[in-house]
Amino acid sequence: MEHKIFIAGKGAISAIGNNVAENLASLWALKTGVSKITILPTRYAETLPAAEIKLTNAELAELAGLSKEEPRTALLSMIAAKEALDDANIPDVGKWRTGLISANTVGAMDKTETIYKYFMEDSNTDKLLEEDSYDSGYVTELVADKLGITHHITTISTACSSSANAMAYGARLIKNGMADIIVAGGCDALSKFTLNGFNSLMILDTQPCTPYDDNRKGLNLGEGAGYVVLVSEEVAATLAKKPTAMLSGYANANDAFHQTASSPEGRGNFMAMQGALDMSGLTPDKIDYINLHGTGTPNNDLSEGTAVQRIFSPVPKVSSTKPYTGHTLGACAGIEAVYAILAIENGIVYPNLRLQTKMKELDFMPVTELVENVEVNHVMSNSFGFGGNCSSVIFSKNS
Amino acid sequence: MGHKDDNSAELKSPLGDLGVRLFINGIGCISPQRTFDNAEFLPEVKQFETNRLTCIDPDYTKFFDAGSIRRMGRLMKYGTAAGLIALNDAGIKAPGAISTGTGLGLPEISQKFLRSMLEVEETIVSPTAFIQSTHNTVSSNIALLCGCYEHNNTFSHKGFSFESALTDAALLAKEGVDNILVGAYDEVSDYKYAAMRKTTELREEPCNSTELYTDTRGIIAGEGSAFFVLAKEKNEKTYGEFVGNKTFYKPVDSDVALDEIYSFLDAHGLGVADIDLLITGMNGDANSDEFTEDVCEDFFEHTTIAAYKHLCGEYMTSSAFAFWLASQIMKAQQVPDTLIIRKGERAPKNILIYTHHRHNHSLMLFKAC
Repeated sequence: MEHKIFIAGKGAISAIGNNVAENLASLWALKTGVSKITILPTRYAETLPAAEIKLTNAELAELAGLSKEEPRTALLSMIAAKEALDDANIPDVGKWRTGLISANTVGAMDKTETIYKYFMEDSNTDKLLEEDSYDSGYVTELVADKLGITHHITTISTACSSSANAMAYGARLIKNGMADIIVAGGCDALSKFTLNGFNSLMILDTQPCTPYDDNRKGLNLGEGAGYVVLVSEEVAATLAKKPTAMLSGYANANDAFHQTASSPEGRGNFMAMQGALDMSGLTPDKIDYINLHGTGTPNNDLSEGTAVQRIFSPVPKVSSTKPYTGHTLGACAGIEAVYAILAIENGIVYPNLRLQTKMKELDFMPVTELVENVEVNHVMSNSFGFGGNCSSVIFSKNS
Repeated sequence: MGHKDDNSAELKSPLGDLGVRLFINGIGCISPQRTFDNAEFLPEVKQFETNRLTCIDPDYTKFFDAGSIRRMGRLMKYGTAAGLIALNDAGIKAPGAISTGTGLGLPEISQKFLRSMLEVEETIVSPTAFIQSTHNTVSSNIALLCGCYEHNNTFSHKGFSFESALTDAALLAKEGVDNILVGAYDEVSDYKYAAMRKTTELREEPCNSTELYTDTRGIIAGEGSAFFVLAKEKNEKTYGEFVGNKTFYKPVDSDVALDEIYSFLDAHGLGVADIDLLITGMNGDANSDEFTEDVCEDFFEHTTIAAYKHLCGEYMTSSAFAFWLASQIMKAQQVPDTLIIRKGERAPKNILIYTHHRHNHSLMLFKAC
C-alpha cells in the first residue's frame, strides 16, 4: 500500500448501547436491541419490532449537547462523532486539515413527517421549517459546526451503503493529500417513513430478524450512528495511543440489476468484495471474519451468501450483527466498522443471533456462538443498498 | 499578481496536485430553459413571471418506455434523461464510473409516499413511490439503463453536492478511471416551495426572471439537472477542459472569499488577470449580491462578468447548470448576451465560476481547448 490510513478513534450509538463500551458489552453479552417500538409514534408499535434507542429526543439532546428541537438523526450523529473524535485525542488537532464526511438517508425525516401533516391541511402553515432544515446536509453541518470542523465537509447518501462510501471517500481525500484527518461514518434515526416504506415492500419481519436462516422472513429496522476517525501516517505518528487498526481496502460497485433487489448471483456484491480485497493486497484466506450485510431478507442473504462463497473457499467466520442492532440504513456501515475494529482489538467474533437452520442454497453457515480468544487480523465489512449500491471495506490490525 | 497580456497562461497543476487532466467530452442538461438539445445553445431565453421556475421537458419517449414514464417521478425522468443525453453526446455506452450530487434527493416522489402514508394513517401504502425515494435513485437508474457496474456515488450536501461529485471524479481519474459521468439534479417540490415562501427572501410576484439583478429584492426558486462525461483525452467532441474546483464554507466576509479565490487560482498558476470570464452566482438577494459584487471588484475590466440564476433559478445544485454554461461557452467561444453583467474584451478561454448556495461557496475553473 502506498498510503496507510489509520483508525485513530471510534464512536457508536445503537439500540445496544449509547457508546462504544456499551455496544461492546452488549455484543459480548449477546444482548439484542430488537424489541417493541416505544419511542416512535406509529401504528406498528406493537406489531413490527425494531432496534430503537430507548431515549427520547430530549434525552439524546442532553447527551449530544444540542437542542431537542434538532432532528433525531443529528442528535445521534453528534453523539457518535464526538465520541470518535474524543477517543482519537489528537494532540494539537487545530494544526491539521480536518474534515467530516457523514452519511444519512433520511435527513430530518422525523421533523418532515410531523410538519407535513400540517402542510397537507394548510400549505401556508407556520409549522414549516426554516428553509434549510430538512436535508441530509443539514445534519452534517450541524455536527461539523459543533465539532469546529470546516476544512472538508460533505454528505453521502447511497442508501444502505452510505457510510461505507463515506469512509472510502474520506480515505481517498487523505491518500491524495487533500486532508489529514477525516471523521467518517453515518447516522439514521427510525422514522415512520422508512418503517412504512420497508413494510410496503413486504420485507420486514414481524418477529426479531434471523439473517441467514433458511426460514428468515425479513429485516427489522434500527437506528443509530457510527463514526471512525481516519488519519494519515503523519498524524498517526503524533498520537499518544497507537492506532489498533487501519482501513486497508474498500470498493464501490453497482449491481445494476433492479432498483430495490439484488441480482441472484450477487454480481455487485462480488465486485465490491473482490475490489476491496484487491486494494488491500490480501488473498481471501487472510480474512478472519466477515461482518455480513445480512439484513435477513430472503433476497439479500441469498445474493450476498452466493457471492461470498464464490470468493471465499473455505468461507471464514462470518456473521451479521443486525440481529443485535437492526438495519440502521445509512448508519450501518459506520456502526459495523466500529464492531469490526472491536473484533480486531478484542480477538472476538460475534454470533449471528437467533440463527437456527442453515440456508439450503449455501454451503456455509454463519457462527452462532460468540468466539473468543481468536486472532483477528483482517475483517471485511459489507454494505449493500437500494439502487444496487454495493460497498465493502476491510479493516486490518496495525501490528 | 502579474498582469498578463497574452491569453495563454500555462496550467501549473491541473486538478490540484492530482496530476491528471479532465476534458468535458459530453454534456446533457434539462432546465427551465430549452437546454436538452446539444445542437443549439440557448436559442431563446425563456422569461418567467413567477418566482418558481420549472424544467422544460424533452420528449421522454425517446428515452424510456411508456410504463417507465408512468411510474417515474418528474425528477427521476429529467435527471436520468440528462445523464443519458451526456453519455450519448460523448458516444459512450457505459461510463467508467458515475458520481452525482443532489441537495434534496427526490422530494416530490418521497412526499407522494409520505402524503399517502399520512392519509391512510399508515395502513396500506403502495411501494412505487418509496422505491424512488432514496437520494441515489437517479445515479443508480442511469447505471441500470446503461449497464454500468462500476463505482456509483451520490453526494447530498446542500451547495457542496455537485462539487463533491466533481472531487470524486477527479480522484477517480487519478485512480485510473476514464469517462466518468458526473452530474447533479434537484427539483423544487410544493413543500420546499412553501417553506421557501415562508422563510426566505423569495421574490414577490409578479416579477420577471430576466430582471433578477436590476432590482435586487429576492431570489427565485429553480431546479434542473446537468450531466457531463469527463475524460482523460480530448477528442473532436471536447467542449473544454475542467481544470479543477474548490469549495469553502461560511466565509465571514468577501475578503475571505477573495483569499480563497487567489489561492485557488495560484494553485493552478493563474491570477485574476488571467480570467477572461467570471460566472457568478448572483441570485437577486440583496445581501448575497453585495457580497458577490465586492468579490467582482478585484477582477480587471477585461474580464467579462456574468450571472446565470435568472435562467435556472436558485437551488442547491445550480452550479451544475453553470458548469453546463461554461462547457457550451468554451465550445462556442462566445458568451450569450443574456448572461452578461459587465462586458470585457477577451475571448472566453479561461473561465472561472464563483457561485454559492447560502453559505456553501464553490469555485470551478475551466480552460477552452
